Amino acid sequence: MNRNEVSDKKLVSAYIKGNEEAFELLVERHKNRVFTTINLIVRDNYLAEDLLQETFIKAIKTIKSGRYNEEGKFLPWILRIAHNLAIDYFRRDKRYPTMVLEDGSSVFNNLDFSEDSFESMQIQKDTHARLKQFIEELPLVQREVLVMRHYMNMSFKEIAEVSGVSINTALGRMRYALINLRKKITVNQSAYDKNFYPK
Amino acid sequence: MTKTFTRNDLIRYIYNETTENEKKEIERELLLDNKLFEEYKDLAEVSMELDRFEMIPSEKVINKILNFSKTINLHSVR
Repeated sequence: MNRNEVSDKKLVSAYIKGNEEAFELLVERHKNRVFTTINLIVRDNYLAEDLLQETFIKAIKTIKSGRYNEEGKFLPWILRIAHNLAIDYFRRDKRYPTMVLEDGSSVFNNLDFSEDSFESMQIQKDTHARLKQFIEELPLVQREVLVMRHYMNMSFKEIAEVSGVSINTALGRMRYALINLRKKITVNQSAYDKNFYPK
Repeated sequence: MTKTFTRNDLIRYIYNETTENEKKEIERELLLDNKLFEEYKDLAEVSMELDRFEMIPSEKVINKILNFSKTINLHSVR
């Protein structure tokens, strides 16, 4: 059977019975989504990796102690843990983590792409690096809605409930996040194209 | 544009959170309103780009997580 065909629910059940390979599959399947969610909130690679570790350790402890009761909903559950830890970090320290480097080199070196050619890989890598930077420049409220909708798969109704705002406010924040990103992409597009496609 | 339609509804449309009737109404409006269609195209494009975007943690941290799992047993976590 294809490894991807095994449901999260079955993998969690197997893990509860002591199958470490099942847990490895769960981690492999969801690590990027969880990491992206955390990283876009805290905007610091090293901190995001610490919080990723903390998230999974919390999950391991919960599952192995028999307190896991979210059958079939592993991803939303672990994303909630990740999101809460990232937000708690803000509240605890009352500060914005700073971008690691201005040139972005070490911040973006963990990006990975499946494109074949070096050129397309480079373009994709550059596009993602810029997008990451643009997302990080958004106001926190917009960034949070974006993360919850795109990477945590929450509906606007759920986002509104969790954030304590109206659905219209959540929608408005998402709209402005997209508009702001679009503006930033457009402004940079011209210079980017000139670099990659010189006449 | 109809009186009941708002720009926020366009966001719900992009994220597939409209009812069938709302969807039809918005699609009708998109055909009639070029400005609205441009906004839809721009925002939907960004949304798709965001869906393709992901970051990958280092192998080092993943190994730490997997090793932690292997060293902890059911009885020690209470």
